[in-house]
Amino acid sequence: MEASRRDLMGLAIGGLGAVGVVGVLYPLVKTLAPSAASLAGATVVVDENSVPEGQVRVVSWKGKPVFVIKLPQGFQWSGKVKEDKNAKLLQGQSLYAMVAVCTHLGCVPLWKPQGEAEYNYPVFHCPCHGGFYSPWGDIIAGPPPRPLFLPPQTLEGGKLIIGEAGFIKELT
Amino acid sequence: MIKSIFFTLITLVFFYIIWINNIFAPHERYEMPAQYAKIAEDVKSYAKEGKQLFEQNCQACHSVRYDGVYISSVQANPKLQTLQEKYGKVLPRDVYESVFYEDLMGLKESFGKVPPDLSTIYLVKGKEYLYAFTLEPQKVLPGTSMPPVMTGRPEETAKIVAYLKSVAEPSPEEKSKRVLMGVGTIAYLIVMGVLLWIYKGRLLKRMGLH
Amino acid sequence: MLSRIGRWIDERAHLSELWQSQMVDYKVPKNLTFPYAFGVMAIVAFAIQIISGIFLTMYYQPNIHTAFDSANYTIMKEVPFMWLVRHVHAAGANFFLAIVYLHIFTGIYYNAYKKPRELTWIVGWVIYFVLLVTALTGYLLPWGQLSYWGMVVTAEIPTSIDSAPIIGSLKIGETISILMKGGYEIGQVTIGRFFGLHIWLLPLILLALVSFHLYLVRAAGISNPEGREIDKKKEGVPFHPYITLKEGAYLMGYLAVFFFFVFFYMHHFLPADNYDPADPFKTPAHIAPEWYLLAYYTIFRSIPDKFLGFVAFNLTLVFLLILPLLDFSPIKSARNRPLFFIMFIVLVISSMALTILGTMPPTPTNAMLGLIFTAGLFSFFIALPIISIIEWGWYKAKGGEKQ
Repeated sequence: MEASRRDLMGLAIGGLGAVGVVGVLYPLVKTLAPSAASLAGATVVVDENSVPEGQVRVVSWKGKPVFVIKLPQGFQWSGKVKEDKNAKLLQGQSLYAMVAVCTHLGCVPLWKPQGEAEYNYPVFHCPCHGGFYSPWGDIIAGPPPRPLFLPPQTLEGGKLIIGEAGFIKELT
Repeated sequence: MIKSIFFTLITLVFFYIIWINNIFAPHERYEMPAQYAKIAEDVKSYAKEGKQLFEQNCQACHSVRYDGVYISSVQANPKLQTLQEKYGKVLPRDVYESVFYEDLMGLKESFGKVPPDLSTIYLVKGKEYLYAFTLEPQKVLPGTSMPPVMTGRPEETAKIVAYLKSVAEPSPEEKSKRVLMGVGTIAYLIVMGVLLWIYKGRLLKRMGLH
Repeated sequence: MLSRIGRWIDERAHLSELWQSQMVDYKVPKNLTFPYAFGVMAIVAFAIQIISGIFLTMYYQPNIHTAFDSANYTIMKEVPFMWLVRHVHAAGANFFLAIVYLHIFTGIYYNAYKKPRELTWIVGWVIYFVLLVTALTGYLLPWGQLSYWGMVVTAEIPTSIDSAPIIGSLKIGETISILMKGGYEIGQVTIGRFFGLHIWLLPLILLALVSFHLYLVRAAGISNPEGREIDKKKEGVPFHPYITLKEGAYLMGYLAVFFFFVFFYMHHFLPADNYDPADPFKTPAHIAPEWYLLAYYTIFRSIPDKFLGFVAFNLTLVFLLILPLLDFSPIKSARNRPLFFIMFIVLVISSMALTILGTMPPTPTNAMLGLIFTAGLFSFFIALPIISIIEWGWYKAKGGEKQ
């Protein structure tokens, strides 16, 4: 009887001690979490006229580089992609934004309007490990595991607003 | 026993005086009518209105950088938005002061010094002083270059104080969260202390060390 | 599985033997009183400062333009829970010094500075001194009005040497003052070097000194409220679990008080005036050092001659250091020494009164009171050799060594 009560007591102290350790670690780990400011939904506005046709402009959104692409009228593209997820989402858009971070290991791909290597049509080429993306960010070849991310965006009166839900609702 | 009580008491009195309530040090007190004090305290209902009043009456000279509010001439400058995109809502002080140097120097020329930023002023001065000073600057601080903008508008002044409080202090929800956290921590420590004490008593009895 | 890993490690590191020999077989007097727990509390306070300090360095910027904003915006508002870390660090510094003072007074009361523990005392004194410098350097970092002007005044104090009769012409004081500030004004150089000292050099020195202090406590044995050396084999109790549990419970009480201040009463530890950014052209109305320096400050301020005041407050520090030499009586612990006990009370009241006087405006009455209590403080140190001689007489009369 006496021994079991003592054990219970020890157990209670041990358990409470563990709770205390967690209680100390929780705020300390929390301080390392992203701050309120970096999570706040900042928006970036890009004027249609500020991007030349068939060219790409890089802007900063939430600290990340973002491509703003303007396709020429009646743009035709003859390449082959592994899957056309982004192309479907961006169907009919001639001005849109993509997160300019290669989904393989985080480099910034380069825009090659004249093509690169065996691909003689416009592509994005990631110089780090040879990933190739279509103008809509779908994978043509190389190591990337998935297409480029698309930030939430909307088009209002010739202005592309990145960070506001529109034809793309959320980061996909 | 008497010695222990004496030393405990004298230590407690000492720390009470230097840490909690120094009855010997000089204190300045400013008066604030109770109904206005209530307004200034009530951040939830009046901070928003206070901010508008601040923009109308104070922003020509004063900034509240921690709230992303800058003096009017800066606020009208398109450069501000470009900088805020780069640095965030709260510009680093050196960036702000060097980019908008002319605006600030213009104010300095008219007032003799750059009117202070009011981000933390609530914590420095307290609501009574802010209320009294804003209402009648010359009476509280003779010779100050602060113009009597708010004289005769006590209620609006109190609302501006509520706004300044909302910028300087954590929000009411955050405050109640902190109170809860504090009570939890202290309760935990007390329970743990009592458990250890009882455990020690039992263990020593068993070991025959009592 | 876990116990197998534990055994594997233990077979190689022999940790359980270390635990047994250092914690269980280590015997301490059974009659240790509550004040003996201040030592443990001080260690815990030190650990709290180190951990919270490491987290603060992640967000604090030692730059005169951004230091204030990094402390009051980034840390207090932006990063989750950093307000708590700053509260803990600011209150922790005050509590650390408070506990150290209580620890020092306990040591004086039980005569823990006497043979064979003189070195423990001297190392402890160095810890105290380094701790004051650490607190002083840390105080500048938030770059508020009090930080700035507190340092302006502190850096002026060594110039008191220059008003001395002969050595004054050497301008030693001014040299020290300029070395402290890194120039003629407090600026970027000052904040940079204070930051480095505060987060690297001084804590490392403290860590080494505290380790040595602890080792000395083990080597020389813990003192005893009764003032006699115990026969550890016969009457000691095992350190674990006797002392660990008892002082663990005290520790929880201490932490409860500490966290009360952290959550509900930071007015004194983060004073209002320090939320005003440093302004080299405007002195705040009441400028005085932090409370842990106020006793020295009052001594300095009450003595009309600047140089003599400087000498007097340094003399207090020196007297504390050479306490084992001043008190050469064969009898230990205030419990056995009525004369010493009286003088101890004089010491306690004088130092407390000097501290409180430091918070008051420097009127002539207060200066007079300051002088009286300064005399009280010095009378303790001066009385020690006299008491010792008297007690040697009693000791011999009682038959000397046998006791």
